[in-house]
Amino acid sequence: MMLTKIVGERVYDFSHVVGGRDQVMGPLAVAFGRDNEMYAVVSALGGGRGITKYTVGLYPGEEEMVQRIGESGQGPGQLMWTSGIALDSDYNIYVTDAMTDRISVFSEGGDFLRSFGSSGNGDVQFSRPSGIAIDQDDNLLVVDTMNHRVQKLSRDGRYLSEWGSEGSDHGQFRAPWGITTDADGCIYVADHLNHRIQKFDAEAGFMFELGSKGSGDYEFDHPSDVAIDPDGDIYVCDWANHRVQAFTADRDYVTTFIGDAQELSKWQLEYVRSNPDVYKARRRVYTLEPEWRFALPSAVEFDSRNSRLMVADTQRWRIQIYNKLHDYADPQFNI
Amino acid sequence: MSSNELSQMAHLMRRAGFGATRDELERRVADGYEATVEDLLHPEAYEPVDIFQFLRYYHFQWKPGTLGGIGQTGWVWRMINTQTPLQEKMCLFWHQIFATGVSKVDHYDEITDMIDIFREKGLGKYRDLLLEVSRNPAMLFWLDNHENHATAINENWGRELLELFTMGVGNYTEEDVYECSRAFTGWTMTPKLPRFHMGRWDWYFEYRPDDHDDGEKNFLGHTGNFNGEDIIDIVLAHPATARFIARHMYSFFVADEVQVPAWEHTPPRDPAAIEVLANALTESDFDIEHTLRVLFNSDFFKEAQFTKVKNPTEVVIGTLRMVGGAELAGPETFDYSNHITYMGQELLNPPSVEGWHSGVEWINSGSLMKRANFVADMVRELDRPGVSAIIDRVKTSGASPESAVDTCLDLLGPMVVKDETREELIEHASTHGEFSWDDANEADSARRVAELLQLIVATREYQFA
Repeated sequence: MMLTKIVGERVYDFSHVVGGRDQVMGPLAVAFGRDNEMYAVVSALGGGRGITKYTVGLYPGEEEMVQRIGESGQGPGQLMWTSGIALDSDYNIYVTDAMTDRISVFSEGGDFLRSFGSSGNGDVQFSRPSGIAIDQDDNLLVVDTMNHRVQKLSRDGRYLSEWGSEGSDHGQFRAPWGITTDADGCIYVADHLNHRIQKFDAEAGFMFELGSKGSGDYEFDHPSDVAIDPDGDIYVCDWANHRVQAFTADRDYVTTFIGDAQELSKWQLEYVRSNPDVYKARRRVYTLEPEWRFALPSAVEFDSRNSRLMVADTQRWRIQIYNKLHDYADPQFNI
Repeated sequence: MSSNELSQMAHLMRRAGFGATRDELERRVADGYEATVEDLLHPEAYEPVDIFQFLRYYHFQWKPGTLGGIGQTGWVWRMINTQTPLQEKMCLFWHQIFATGVSKVDHYDEITDMIDIFREKGLGKYRDLLLEVSRNPAMLFWLDNHENHATAINENWGRELLELFTMGVGNYTEEDVYECSRAFTGWTMTPKLPRFHMGRWDWYFEYRPDDHDDGEKNFLGHTGNFNGEDIIDIVLAHPATARFIARHMYSFFVADEVQVPAWEHTPPRDPAAIEVLANALTESDFDIEHTLRVLFNSDFFKEAQFTKVKNPTEVVIGTLRMVGGAELAGPETFDYSNHITYMGQELLNPPSVEGWHSGVEWINSGSLMKRANFVADMVRELDRPGVSAIIDRVKTSGASPESAVDTCLDLLGPMVVKDETREELIEHASTHGEFSWDDANEADSARRVAELLQLIVATREYQFA
């Protein structure tokens, strides 16, 4: 298995994995904070959910847990079915909750600040909110899933605008999920049950759609998220196909990522080494290759500061990291 | 549309599915009984349930752990949402026979894979299904065939294949069990990745020729170098197998029988019906779709209304499909699956290889309360679309308490209750006089109808399908 993908002028190099049963259980969405900080919306079995904050270094084993934010429940500052996460320019944390139909806001240090939203289909009302992004003006773009629309709100929860309705025409959605913006302020939405990505300008004007249902190139099966890198390349989290597809800004297909975690993360390795039976059982199997692959990955984010793609490999309780290299030189063959 | 046609259709939909709303029943009566049977027998005509709409909110269900109640929620959600109820009913039917439980397998996903096999092949040829189940890792582990070696025979799978899945006790000898088990040596599964730092992994069937006993076997009067497939062919050709499967089908779809261990000594409730079904199986090479067509169109089926106690799954799913509002996966979906367990049927975890004891054994003082309370709680929620639709029909049926009672009984079945029960219902409905649906009284009348529904679902008669 080649861990370095060279596709035309693009080079992606598998970096490492951050994961562990106790540390990264079921990450549904990720966002970046200050320096090497990363936040993951983490699910726990049976409904208790919250946010976990880490530092993620450039190399394997540098990751550290910083803190857990939020506790299970429906009261102020409590979280139930957390689904999406985004940080504003002050590093305040915004989290959508699909059960309570609201957005909770925490400070960078994890203090609860406020929440807004209620169930319904009016202004600042939601039905299963999921993806969330911050635009260039520090406003919130909230995917209002079962109302099949996107609402734009101010940081303090004031209604600004909305677009979308149920359907499959341009500008319509069916149970949309992830959302992101690019350097020009354009907005991309994972139109989940229409199995496509839609791109809008900063004023929500339709620009293009990408993809249709299937498992081939340019095809998606229930896409859950989308990310854009500084070159304008588009990464689609192709959830039910267990993969991520990459495209140019002009929608030309680049490559597909299926997961390459050939080495265990620091926390996974600690677990295996401390359980001899697990260690032996891993040696008994014919191949470890099933471990490498994504399993229903829910989210993709591009870390522009370090030029790396982060994939929330939800069902395997880990984040897989790919570096996008701009100065790659192939090693000599006889090295 | 005659009331007899409606009752007959409601009977078919209760048995071949999980009941139907009045709107659906009327549509199906217009289509005709035999056309509805054909529709039920052809699930391929419909879009399957999109399980990813469930997994989006229950993503930990993808390879669920072993905590009670977790694993079955996805199946419960499917049953609530399916357009092909007979397909799911067949999953229940085969799950009752190939009763494999998470208590031992410790891997919900492998058992749900087996349910998927029932969904895919449950209406097809029994040989195909049986062969698939014989190679299913959950079954291999459940009945220890992974420990059935050429040099150390384990008889668990071989015995149950003959006792519970094909012929029934009394049609084979202990030597047949041993020889059958020899033929299945080497049918095992690949070593699996440990689950405890990255979640659970699929199990896979593996045939190991080096661990297969390829010596000569003497089985049911046949001699040869048999492998597992040969054994399956021999038992399917034995007349006891068709009768045994026919009795299972009768007991599940037509009328409650005694429990399986008593079949050796207790003759069938309707021997002629068993003969009809056994012949249908034999003449069709064990084609289940063909045999069900014979069953649903038979007089013995049509005359068997309300002769079966609803199993807990039928109680919960039937109620949810009737009242509506349960289609989107939410936290309550997990609760629904738990209610089935509370009533005595923990799906994916039957009490033993024999499955659940059914019929009147579903009912005891505890389970009866759970059944009545669950359904009563559901039918009192006025904003559920199905409850609202019932109230709309009661509105147009007249203002008298008698008409309200009769309409409710009709819409919940149509049900026939004892005169004494009907009188008591009317007495209760009369407490506040006639029903008025003007603006000032509409909410109160709706609440009174919901109360009536609550009383009716708590009757003895409502426990029968």
